[in-house]
Amino acid sequence: MAILEVKNLRKNFGSLEVLKGIDFSLEKGEVLAMIGASGSGKTTLLRCLNFLERPTEGQIFVKDNVIFDSSDARSLGEAEIRKNRLHFGMVFQAFNLFPQYTVLKNCTLAKELLAQERPDYKSRKKEIFEEIREQGLEILDKVGLRDRIDYYPHQLSGGQQQRVAIARALMLQPDILCFDEPTSALDPELTGEVLKVIKGLADHHTTMVIVTHEMQFARDVSDKVLFLDQGVIAEYGTPSQVFENPTEERTKQFLERYFEN
Amino acid sequence: MSSISSNPIESLSTGFIYNLELFALTLLLALPLGLIIMFFTTSKFKPLAWVSKVFVWIIRGTPLMLQLFVVLYAPGLLFEIPMSNRFTAAVIAFVINYACYFSEIYRGGIESIPKGQYEAGQVLGMTRSQIFFKIILLQVIKRIIPPMGNEVITLVKDTSLSRIIGIAEIIMCAERFTKQGLIWPLFSTGLYFLLFNGILTILFGFIEKKMDYFRA
Repeated sequence: MAILEVKNLRKNFGSLEVLKGIDFSLEKGEVLAMIGASGSGKTTLLRCLNFLERPTEGQIFVKDNVIFDSSDARSLGEAEIRKNRLHFGMVFQAFNLFPQYTVLKNCTLAKELLAQERPDYKSRKKEIFEEIREQGLEILDKVGLRDRIDYYPHQLSGGQQQRVAIARALMLQPDILCFDEPTSALDPELTGEVLKVIKGLADHHTTMVIVTHEMQFARDVSDKVLFLDQGVIAEYGTPSQVFENPTEERTKQFLERYFEN
Repeated sequence: MSSISSNPIESLSTGFIYNLELFALTLLLALPLGLIIMFFTTSKFKPLAWVSKVFVWIIRGTPLMLQLFVVLYAPGLLFEIPMSNRFTAAVIAFVINYACYFSEIYRGGIESIPKGQYEAGQVLGMTRSQIFFKIILLQVIKRIIPPMGNEVITLVKDTSLSRIIGIAEIIMCAERFTKQGLIWPLFSTGLYFLLFNGILTILFGFIEKKMDYFRA
């Protein structure tokens, strides 16, 4: 059973067609790398999955449930969008940590707020917060920042900040974790620590969609590679198919450009 | 007018009470009113945004001194409901004037918060109000403290403009002594303002320091 299925996804910004009909599916535990030139629509696709952009057309299914369907006349309310987007986690290029909160609070805040909707929130508030805290510590331990829980974001390096952002996204246990060029804002010497964390998640079969310009990394970590070109999927397959035997001329050209540098 | 003291210090101090009252009332009312005006000027309902922007433009584009006269005389001239209390007129004019400035400071503060902060809250399943109150608000406050400090210090000094509609504030009190040939009371009004603004400067410095634990 596919955990994620995207059908005929289209997105226009005014008269500009950014996504021109995207179809793909992802199995549970798989890692999908999305590659392509700037402006090919990778980020827009990821943002559509997270409801940060509203697709112009198409359908999105998670675990066989419709979470977006453009042919459904009634538009989704805020509460429904909130619920649906929790299937996805998102790690941004610019980290977007909350500057006024500590590392630990960055991770626990959303979960604490969601807990307010639980029926037993008032009676068990203390225990619930303790549980969330424990979970936060555990996840920060996983990304190697257990000793930085009381730091504020500005006191951390870019690589550390991005690892906090990954921990923050993991806290809500999303079905699919999305990464939007997670290392593009980092100094070269800091990308390694972030990629290592993502690799670790892949080894533990976390379902992920990763938009990246790190071709070597995409090749190492992914189960499927999707090459986007001008809003359409130009090539789709396993890393060895896409990287070693691309069928499309434009894929070859794109990869050549990358591996030359 | 209350009893006029012949003792300069006593007279100036009594006058300065007016300045302080006008200052405190303006701050108390203009801070929330500025927020409301900001909601109007940034409204998605275009006519409301347009009308309120024109209003802000007029208030910021004309002298406060003129606005004091308008508030004092316009009700009587236009609607035959004369403004019965000069001090009330001063408060109204000051509140409207400062609320417009505050609204622009608020707007600048909110618009300076990166979109990524909202998006991070959204993908974590937060509601719009949770995003505003838990994430955005404190960052906005941190950013607007310095321009607000400027505005508040200007307000302290501006309260003296109310003498133009006959409020017996400190400079008006000092002038009486000038007419009697005594100049030092007029000069020493500066000390009152300096002292009070000194306290405000320290206060704002303290708030800024309090928020120094994070960068935004």
